[in-house]
Amino acid sequence: MKTSKKLLAILPAIALVAASCGGSDGDSSSEAPAETDAAPVETDAPEEVDQTQAGDLTFHMITHSDDGPFWSVVQRGADAAAEDLGVTLVWKPGVNDAQVMVQDIEAAVAEGTDGIAASLPDPDALVGPLQAAVGEGIPVITLNSGANDYQDIGALTHVGQSEDVAGNGAGERFNDAGATKVLCAFQEQGNVGLEERCNGLAETFGGETVIEFMGLDADTTEQQNTINAFLAADPDIDGVLGVGPVITMSALRAAQDLGRELTIGGFDMTPDLLGAIEAGDVAFTVDQQQYLQGYMPVLLMYLNVTNQNTLGGGLPILTGPGFVTTDNATAVIELSAAGTR
Amino acid sequence: MNEYDSPDTATEAAPIGETSTDTVVAASAAGGDERLAYRSVFQRLFVRPEVGGLIGAAGIWIFFWAASGTFGTVGQTFTWLDTAATLGIMAVAVSMLMIGGEFDLSSGAMTGAMGMLIIYLVKETGELGGLGFPMLIAIPLSLVVALCIGYLNGFMVERTGQPSFIITLGTFFALIGLKLGLSKRFVGQIQIGRTDEASDFDFFRPIFAAEWARNDHPFELRDFFYISIFAAGIIIVLLAVCELWFQRADERKPIGLVDFIVGLGLGIAAAIALHLTDGVGVNAAIAVLMAVAVFLGMYGWVRWRYEPIENRGSVALDERMRKFLGLGFGLVVLGAVVAVLIDSSSTHEFFFPFTTQGIRVILLLAFTTAGMALIAMASQAALSSSPATKGAVTSVLALAIAVVAALTFIDSEAAKFRASLFSVLLFGAVIVFVWGFVVSRFVERRVKSASADHLGGRMLILGIVSIFIGLAFRMMFITEAELLAEVPPAKTSIRLFWFVAFTATMMWILARTRFGSWTFAVGGNKEAARQVGVPAARTKTQLFMLVSVAAWFVGLLVAFRINSIQSNAGDGQEFFFIIAAVVGGTLLTGGYGTAFGGAIGACIMSMPLAGISAARWNTDWRFLIIGVILLLAVVSNKYLRNRAEAIRR
Repeated sequence: MKTSKKLLAILPAIALVAASCGGSDGDSSSEAPAETDAAPVETDAPEEVDQTQAGDLTFHMITHSDDGPFWSVVQRGADAAAEDLGVTLVWKPGVNDAQVMVQDIEAAVAEGTDGIAASLPDPDALVGPLQAAVGEGIPVITLNSGANDYQDIGALTHVGQSEDVAGNGAGERFNDAGATKVLCAFQEQGNVGLEERCNGLAETFGGETVIEFMGLDADTTEQQNTINAFLAADPDIDGVLGVGPVITMSALRAAQDLGRELTIGGFDMTPDLLGAIEAGDVAFTVDQQQYLQGYMPVLLMYLNVTNQNTLGGGLPILTGPGFVTTDNATAVIELSAAGTR
Repeated sequence: MNEYDSPDTATEAAPIGETSTDTVVAASAAGGDERLAYRSVFQRLFVRPEVGGLIGAAGIWIFFWAASGTFGTVGQTFTWLDTAATLGIMAVAVSMLMIGGEFDLSSGAMTGAMGMLIIYLVKETGELGGLGFPMLIAIPLSLVVALCIGYLNGFMVERTGQPSFIITLGTFFALIGLKLGLSKRFVGQIQIGRTDEASDFDFFRPIFAAEWARNDHPFELRDFFYISIFAAGIIIVLLAVCELWFQRADERKPIGLVDFIVGLGLGIAAAIALHLTDGVGVNAAIAVLMAVAVFLGMYGWVRWRYEPIENRGSVALDERMRKFLGLGFGLVVLGAVVAVLIDSSSTHEFFFPFTTQGIRVILLLAFTTAGMALIAMASQAALSSSPATKGAVTSVLALAIAVVAALTFIDSEAAKFRASLFSVLLFGAVIVFVWGFVVSRFVERRVKSASADHLGGRMLILGIVSIFIGLAFRMMFITEAELLAEVPPAKTSIRLFWFVAFTATMMWILARTRFGSWTFAVGGNKEAARQVGVPAARTKTQLFMLVSVAAWFVGLLVAFRINSIQSNAGDGQEFFFIIAAVVGGTLLTGGYGTAFGGAIGACIMSMPLAGISAARWNTDWRFLIIGVILLLAVVSNKYLRNRAEAIRR
């Protein structure tokens, strides 16, 4: 939910990239990559190649992070990359305030940073300063949100997740499980991102998809009972995709109350959902692997500065969908506790 | 209001502060003031604040029952009742507070906050935080915190004199911030689990989360208990109505009692025959037998106890009544003809959302409803005419109901319409007919009678409780036959019990204790209440504390139920609590309402989403439905309240 929801325009080609970035399990990426009209990357590399030592490099990561559980994982990824590569990383959380981010970007440019990774929650405010940074010869990468604007900026690439591709991946999972009719249950009316997840599911899922609002996260009792009523009224449903962790657990309890054997999939991770996957009650959850959204930009900036490499061929690099299933749940629970998943 | 020593009078609805004149009048009435017209128990029952809610709940239930295949099943009934339970505990507490004239916008966020607090207290110490207390400590400790928050709300409202709307809005945001901030600070996540890490979790689990799976409880004699208790309940209710309605005879006629016993025996025999046999012809014969039994029983009972009318007069229908009756009955028959003529299986669509089927149903409903309304108007007009006329008009009403019953039988393929609705309507027709018969032959009581009101009131309560106990038997247990037919599992939990118990306790407090009277007083007119010696500030603070205790309890129930709580749990729910209270007849301005209304409101709020899901409609419409329900409730409650005040004066 934290990523931009506007990746639709360049959908057909991104599957290949998702595989090439190596960050996802990739089994959703079977669609053939299509030639797209995406513009080639303008690298805007500095005229002279600095033969800098890695230890001298300083990168800035300027995001709208609120330092919550989601972004703390991004930060850990970025820190890990900096440590692995021996570079310095400056983490600037904007706490959802674009003005703070603008100031941080301008300050980073003035300091002579070697690269800027930025999220774009508010493109109108942020595209200008980042273009200016690119004009100064500083490599820029967008992360998490900014899929529609990174080309305007002249950024190397964008690292993030697309909601409908994530939904596509879930659809393939249900196909593999042999489901024939899946309820896509969402918990917030009018949230575009959640509906995109459901629409993505409907695109790849071979059977029938029903997309319905099933009650707010704020009242899990009602949520569970609404799903219960829906399942009871339709005995054909053999799968449920909850597009958030709380509603996924509600679906599980409803199915258990009714004594129904369903394939249940979810989105994002909470301790109890991971526990249910480990126990085999929930088949999978879609993980957007935000650790990569921290790690990859640092790595890409490093390779660009030291070796003039670019990755992605002008297309965004997708960090999701990654999947947590019974096979890797135990490992993910440990990693989650360590703060990298 | 307190003229009679009757248990079911509407003392709860009497705002003391608001109507101090009423109290004076009532006091003089106790001294035997002839100027006060007699008001029967029914008149007083009908103007209770929750009546609108009850009718609405019944309407919504019937609507979704008819519209979906699963809504009326035992499993799905438990489902929406379960939603109503946690919502209802809060709605009842919020109703109390609103009767006291205040709001609590923090009540929703508080349920989540309390759940999180409890889990944090019992969670094992470790990398992700938690204190590792046993429940034995965590439960009282969190209760103390809840009491403090409630006290703080009340204290600030009283000290600042600002509207509670603003004060608790502040508490609301403070709680949301605390939930988010503290859970991230101490747990590192916005979700906190798990309740079951408490060392004494297994001891407390049955108290807060015991579940009852119907399919695990086969009971072969279920139907025997269900039908006998349920039927006994209905009989007692009918007799109670007679007791409250008619004038007792100076000299009882034992022959009537014989009739009653014969009728009762006949009814039991018919029920046994129905159980043992099958076949349409036999069923029809049994139905006739039942009708005779109802007639004999009711007539016998009334003949035994009550004063007959000496001069019944003759049937004299005036022009207006004749018009109403003729037109009304004609419309009902027309509806039947339409139903038979239009092909019910056609789904041809004229324009959205009208299909042949749809138009047929609309016409059918319009004709029969209009017809029934006209006949009802005729009965209204007949109230002041001769007893014989009353009887005749009521017979026409019974006949019209019978036509509608027959209509549902031929009209529908669905077993539930053919069996349930048909039998209920037919039974209704018989009751109305017999009622018309006895009403035209026995004297209606027009003076108060403490003993009749007392006995009748007790019987009414006993009968209603019996009906619910009978239904509970039906819902809790399963028979071998149902197991073989693979009835879907149904599950209920102790939460439902807590809901009922809490509602009953609050009803008792409002109606029977000094604190209850004070609640009405401070909500009606705080200054007046203060002047007559009600500790207004203390009462209001206690009401805030009551709400936070309810939130604490609901948080506890949720924590035990789902084992982990996310920080946004409960946020925004306070509006549903308030809506439930308003739908249940409680006034936003205070001084008027009931605890029972809050419980009914919670049922009304929990039915639509489950019903829409069961009917397979688009759930996007849910909030529209809730909005419309709220508006309808406000309008109809206003109307009912005006009536109530008219009758009370």
